[in-house]
Amino acid sequence: MPKLTIDGREIEVEAGTTIIQAAELLGIEIPRFCYHERLAIAGNCRMCLVEVEKMPKPVASCAMPINEGMVVKTNTPTVKNARQGVMEFLLLNHPLDCPICDQGGECDLQDQAMAYGKDHSRCDEQKRAVDKKNFGPLIETAMTRCIQCTRCVRFANEIAGAPELGALGRGEHMEITTYLNQALDSELSGNLIDLCPVGALTNKPASFTYRSWELKSTESVDAMDALGSAIRIDTRGNQVIRILPRVNDDVNEEWLSDRSRFACDGLSLQRLDKPYVRRDGKLAATTWSDALSVLAAKVKSSMTGRMAFIAGDHSDAETLVAAKDLAAAMGTTHLDCRQDGAALEAGLRASYLFNSTIAGIEHADALLIVGSNPRIEAAVFNARVRKRWLTGKLKVAVIGPKVDLTYKYEWLGDNPSILADIAAGTHPFAATLKAAANPALILGQGAVARTDGSAVLGLARKVADTTGMVKDGWNGFNVLHTAASRVGALDLGFVPGTGGKNVAEIVAAAGKGELDVLFLLGADEIDISGLGSTFVVYIGSHGDFGAHRADVVLPGAAYTEKNATFVNTEGRVQRTRLATFPPGEAKEDWKVVAAVAEALGKALPYTTLSQVRERLSAVNPVFAQIDMVAPASWGTFGQDGSVLPQPLTSTIKTFYAVDPISRSSKTMAQCQAAFGEDQCQRKTGTHG
Amino acid sequence: MPDSQTPNSQQSALREPTAEQRRHWRLVVEGVIAKHGARPEQLLQILIEIQEELSWLPLKVVTDVAERLSISRARVEGVVGFYSFLHTRPNGRFRVLFSNNIIDRMLGSQTMMDEMCRKLWLQPGKMSEDGLVSIGPTSCTGMGDQGPALLVNGMTITKLTHQRVNLISELIRKDTPLAQWPQDLFAVDDNIQRKDILLNSALKPGDALRAALANGPDALMEEMKKSKLRGRGGAGFTTAQKWDFCRQAPVDEALGRVVVCNADEGEPGTFKDRVLLTRYADLVFEGMTLAAYAIGAKKGFLYLRGEYRYLLAPLQEVLSARRAQGLLGASILSQTGFDFDIEIHMGAGAYVCGEETALLESLEGKRGTPRIRPPFPVTHGYLGRPTSVNNVETLASACLIATQGGDAFAKIGTAQSSGTKLLSISGDCAQPGIYEFPFGATIAEVLEACGATDVQAVQMGGASGVTLAPSEFSRKMAFEDVPTAGAFMIFDSGRDMFEVASNFVHFFAHESCGFCTPCRVGTSLLTGYLDKLSNGYGSKPDLAEIDTLNRVLKSTSHCGLGQAAANPILDGLKKFRPAYEKRMLHQDFEPAFNLDAALERARQITGRDDAGAHILEEQA
Ligand SMILES: Cc1cc2nc3c(=O)[nH]c(=O)nc-3n(C[C@H](O)[C@H](O)[C@H](O)COP(=O)(O)O)c2cc1C
Ligand code: SF4
Ligand code: SF4
Ligand code: FES
Repeated sequence: MPKLTIDGREIEVEAGTTIIQAAELLGIEIPRFCYHERLAIAGNCRMCLVEVEKMPKPVASCAMPINEGMVVKTNTPTVKNARQGVMEFLLLNHPLDCPICDQGGECDLQDQAMAYGKDHSRCDEQKRAVDKKNFGPLIETAMTRCIQCTRCVRFANEIAGAPELGALGRGEHMEITTYLNQALDSELSGNLIDLCPVGALTNKPASFTYRSWELKSTESVDAMDALGSAIRIDTRGNQVIRILPRVNDDVNEEWLSDRSRFACDGLSLQRLDKPYVRRDGKLAATTWSDALSVLAAKVKSSMTGRMAFIAGDHSDAETLVAAKDLAAAMGTTHLDCRQDGAALEAGLRASYLFNSTIAGIEHADALLIVGSNPRIEAAVFNARVRKRWLTGKLKVAVIGPKVDLTYKYEWLGDNPSILADIAAGTHPFAATLKAAANPALILGQGAVARTDGSAVLGLARKVADTTGMVKDGWNGFNVLHTAASRVGALDLGFVPGTGGKNVAEIVAAAGKGELDVLFLLGADEIDISGLGSTFVVYIGSHGDFGAHRADVVLPGAAYTEKNATFVNTEGRVQRTRLATFPPGEAKEDWKVVAAVAEALGKALPYTTLSQVRERLSAVNPVFAQIDMVAPASWGTFGQDGSVLPQPLTSTIKTFYAVDPISRSSKTMAQCQAAFGEDQCQRKTGTHG
Repeated sequence: MPDSQTPNSQQSALREPTAEQRRHWRLVVEGVIAKHGARPEQLLQILIEIQEELSWLPLKVVTDVAERLSISRARVEGVVGFYSFLHTRPNGRFRVLFSNNIIDRMLGSQTMMDEMCRKLWLQPGKMSEDGLVSIGPTSCTGMGDQGPALLVNGMTITKLTHQRVNLISELIRKDTPLAQWPQDLFAVDDNIQRKDILLNSALKPGDALRAALANGPDALMEEMKKSKLRGRGGAGFTTAQKWDFCRQAPVDEALGRVVVCNADEGEPGTFKDRVLLTRYADLVFEGMTLAAYAIGAKKGFLYLRGEYRYLLAPLQEVLSARRAQGLLGASILSQTGFDFDIEIHMGAGAYVCGEETALLESLEGKRGTPRIRPPFPVTHGYLGRPTSVNNVETLASACLIATQGGDAFAKIGTAQSSGTKLLSISGDCAQPGIYEFPFGATIAEVLEACGATDVQAVQMGGASGVTLAPSEFSRKMAFEDVPTAGAFMIFDSGRDMFEVASNFVHFFAHESCGFCTPCRVGTSLLTGYLDKLSNGYGSKPDLAEIDTLNRVLKSTSHCGLGQAAANPILDGLKKFRPAYEKRMLHQDFEPAFNLDAALERARQITGRDDAGAHILEEQA
C-alpha cells in the first residue's frame, strides 16, 4: 500500500485512493462542492485544490489518485488564495438571497463562504440570472443559485438511471436542465435535493414552510416499502415537515424513494383521531369507552370460529403479536397477513426472505427477476441493481412485465412455465445462472400472489436448487416484499392456524355470512365490498377503504408516531422512533389491541412496551437481534404442480399510491397527475 | 456542397412541421444514422450531417436521433448546445459568419459585416424574416493570411473586399444556391513563403512507410527517440515518449490502440495545419500510419475543425487513393497483421476541442469537456483504448524522421528543440503566410523575413501564447525560450494593444466550455472588466482586481484554456500598461458609479441631450 504525507502527517492508503479520501482518513477536511463519495468524480468546482510537491499548479484533490511518496499540503497560502478565489467566483454569480432560501442554515456554500470567502466582494458586477426550470411536482428550482457542480446530473444519470437531466449550452451559458424542461421522471428524484450543495434544488412541497433550525429531528426507519430505509423525520410541533434519508450502507446507502420522502403530508390528512361507531348506517365520532363497549356487546366468546383477523401492510410487530395473542385467547385460527394472497408460508424463514441481502446483490453476477418490477416496488433497491449492472458484471433476465428498469435485461417472457424450463435446465438462461459465481433470483409478490402461487414458489425454489444459488456463504433466493409488515408477520406466524382461513377465504366467508366479526389491522387492500353484513372492527391510522366499511373504528398511530418494530424484506429487525404523537385520541396500535382484549375480558399478559417486546422474542428469537441479518437455513417449500399461463406481473401499478398514507397525500396525488397512474409504463429513455 | 437548399429552413421553429416535412426529416435522419451504423459515438458526426441536409436541427429531429441511437434526448440536446455551429432554430438558408479574429478585424471585417447587414436589411445575429439569411461573427476561421474571411453555410470565402461583399450580398438576395456561386470566390491560397525540410519534402506516398517497415517498429521508435521530436500542438511533449507510453499500455488486442491527428487548429492566428492538409495531406496521413505502426494501432482519426469543412472532400480523396495503393486498410504494404485505417471526424465550432481530452470526448460524440487526468489518453483514450493524440505537423515531421533518421533531424534546430517549425504569420507585414524556420530563429529574423517594420508587438502562439514587446525580439523561437504552436501575429505601432487583448479575452469567454468554476465565471468577468475599461468607466482598482482574477484563472482552471485566458492581459498590463491606463476615466479613485452615464436612459426617454441634461464631472 502506497504511503504519502499530508500536511506533514504520513499515511498508508490503498492504491487508487484519491487525495481527498486520504485526507479524510487523517481527519483533514478539504472543502468541496462537486465531490460526493457516491457519485463519479467530476473535478469541476475547483474548491478542493491542494498543493502537491513537484506539481507546478494546485491540483484537484478529489480527482487526483495518490502516488507513493506524494507530499501534499492543504493549508499553504497558495491553496488558501486559490480557494478564496474560487469561492468568490461562486458567490459572484450567486444571488445571496439566503434569508429566503430553503437551504438557509444547511447550505454548503453558506458554510464555506464563512470559512473561505473574503469579507468584501465585487458585488457591483452583473450577476447572472437563469430561468427557473421545471423539475416536476417534487423539486423547486432556483437555478440562479446553481453552481454547475453537476451532482444532480450525475445522480440522475448514474444512480437513478434518469438520463433526461443534463447540461445545456457552454461557458457562462451552461445550464442544468431537463430535456425540454419536462418533469424529472424518476422515483428517486428527491435525492437531488439532498445532493445539491446550494439552494438551487429544494423540497417543493415543503417550500417556505420552515427554516432548518426550527426543526427537531428524529432518527427512524421507513415503512413506505419493505426495505426499511434509514430516515430522519424532521418535525415542527406535532407536524412532520419533511423526511430525509440517513446513511445505512446495508439498506439504502444514503438514498430514499420519493414515496418515502414526500408522502409525509399524508400523515396529517384523512387521519382517524377519534373512535367511531356506526349508528343508523353512519359512522359517528364517539369516546373510547363507548366504542369499546359497543364492541364488547357485539363480540361474544361463543363466536370462536366466526371471528377473523387480517393484518395490513403497515402493521408493526408489537401490534401483530398482541392481535395474534388475542386471536388465540378468543380461540380463532382465522388470521392472515397476506392481503394480496401471496402463497408464502410462515415457518421456514429462507422461503420468504431476501436471502442474499440488499447489499449482497452487489456480489451477484446473474439475476433472474420473476413477477416483479423492482423499480416501483423498491426503488432504492433497484438503484443497487443498476449500480451492480453498471459495473458490467451483472447479467439480468426478467420473467414478468416488460418495463423500463433503468438497466438492460433479457426479457424471457411472462409465462411462469419458463421457470420450469430453467429448473429443468432446458432454457438457455439456466446455463447463465449455473455459470455464475453468485447467481440470484428475485421473486416478486406478483409471482406468488396468484392462485398457482405455491407452484410458482416451488418452481423458483427448484431453480435456486438446480442452478447453484444456495451454497456456503451465498443464498441468491430472494423474495422481494412490498409491505413493511409482511416479514415480521410471517416471523410471528400471523397466518391461518389449524383449520384457519386465509384472506381470500375470510373475505368469502364474510360475504356468505359465515363470519360474525372481522378485525382489520390497518388492512385496506382487501376487497372491502365483499364483506357482507360481518361486523367489522378497523384499527388503523387513516380513513381509507377499511375504515369506511367498519362498524367500529379505533384510531391508531402511523409509523412516525410510535416506537415500533418492523422486519424488512431481508429479515432485518429494525425499530421506528416516535417523532410526533398520534393525533387526537389515537393510540399506538398494540395498546388499542390490548384495550380491545381487556374489553373482551381477555386481557393480555403485558402492559408495557418492553413486555411486548419480550413476548416478541419469546415467539421468535429473531426479534431479539436488532439491526442484524442472520443467514436463514434452507429447506424445501412451495408445492409441486402445474402453473397457469396467466402472465406474471407486478402487484403494484401506481408508485405514488400504495397505502393509506400515500393515498391521502396531496403531493403523491400531484405526482400521479404529472406522471400518470401506471408507472409500469414509465420510459426514461435508454440506459447505457 | 454541404447544404441542399431545402424549403424546410423557412419554417419557424415554433410552427408545427407539415406531415411532408416530418417525412422528409425522418428520411434524412434514417439515412444518416444508417450510414453511421447507429453508433452513439458517431452522434456529433450524425448531427453535423443531418444539419447539412436540413440546415438546422429541429427538436423533433433531436428526439428521433436520440431514439434511434438509444441515448437520452438530454444528451443529444446537450451536444447540440455545446457546438456553436449546431442549432435547434432555423438560422436562414444562408448562414454567414465573419471571422472575428483580431487580424480579420484589423483588415476590416467589422465594417464589412455591417455593410452586408445593411445590404440585406438585417441585424447581426438575427435571421431575416423571410428565413433567407443570418449574419454573425465567429471565432478565427484560420485565414489570417488572407482575411477578412467569412463562412457561408460552412464554406470559406477569403480576401473580402467591398466588391466581394457586394457580390455575395447579391447572390444571397437572389437566393442563388451555393453550388452556382462563382467558384473562384471559394479559392483559398496556400501562401507558402519560406520552405525548409518539411515543406521541401519530396517524399512520395509510401516512402516513409516502406523505410519504417524495412526495419520494424522498434527501430522506428529508436529513430523517433533520437530525433527528439517534440509535439507541435503547443505543449511540446516528446513524441517518442508519448508513443512509447501508448505502446506499453495494456490493450484489448481485438480493439487495438488508436492514433488521433489533432487538426482542430482553433488557436486564433494559426493556419499552418490548413496548408499541410491542403498540400501535404499524404505526409500527414503517412505520419499517422507510422504512428500506428509504432504503437500497434488499428484505428485512426483525423479530427478536422468545422471551419475547414471545405477540405473534407479532398482529404477523403487522398484517403481513397492511399487505400488503393495499399497504404491503408488491411495488410498495409502486404505486411500481414498491419491493419490500419483512418476516419475523418468533423468538429463544429468549439476551440476547446483542440485540447486533447476534450477532443476525445468530441470524437466519442459528446460535449467537448476536458477530462480529468489521470488516466491519460495514452492509457485510456478513445473509448477507453490507449490513444496517441498528435498535432498535424508533428505527424508530418515523423515522415522525415522515418526516412532520414532521427540524428539527421536532431541536427536541425536547437539542443532542446529539434527540427523546424511552421509559423502562421499574419498581421502588419508585407508578406503574410506560412514560413518554415528551424527552431532557434529569433523573432527579429522572422520579422525581417516577412517584411514587418515599425512593429509594436508580436503575439506568439496565438491568443493563449505570449505578447512580445520589441525589447524581446532577440529571443529565440524554441521550447526553451519562446515556445509557440505556430501563430505569429504582428502589430505595428498604430495598433491598440488593449483592443488586441480585449479581443482575445472575448474569444476565451466565448469558447470556455463552462465545466469548471474559475474559467466559466472568470472569463466572463474579465470581459466585463475590459468592456468597462473600454467604455471609459474603469479605474485603478479595476486593474488590481483584474490582476487577482487572472491569478485565480491561471492557477485553478481545469484545462489550458482557462489557464491561458489570463495571459493576454497579464502580458498587456506588464508590457503595454499605457494602453490600459489611457482608457480610464479616473486614475486615482473609484467612483461609486457614473452619474452622468446613469442619466442616459432618462435622456433617451425625454429626448433631451442639452447641457442641462448632463451632470458634468466636477458637479458629480
Ligand atoms: C484549449 C486548448 C486548445 C488546443 N488546441 C489544439 C489544436 O488546435 N491543435 C493541436 O494540435 N493541439 C491543440 N492543443 C494541444 C493538445 O491538447 C495536445 O497537447 C496536442 O494535440 C498534442 O499533440 P502534439 O504532442 O503533437 O503537440 C490545445 C490545447 C488546449 C489546452
Ligand atoms: S442544481 Fe445544484 S446539484 Fe445541480 S449542478 Fe446546480 S448546484 Fe449542482
Ligand atoms: S478551463 Fe475553461 S475550457 Fe477548460 S475545462 Fe475549465 S471551463 Fe472548460
Ligand atoms: S471537489 Fe474537487 S473539484 Fe470539486
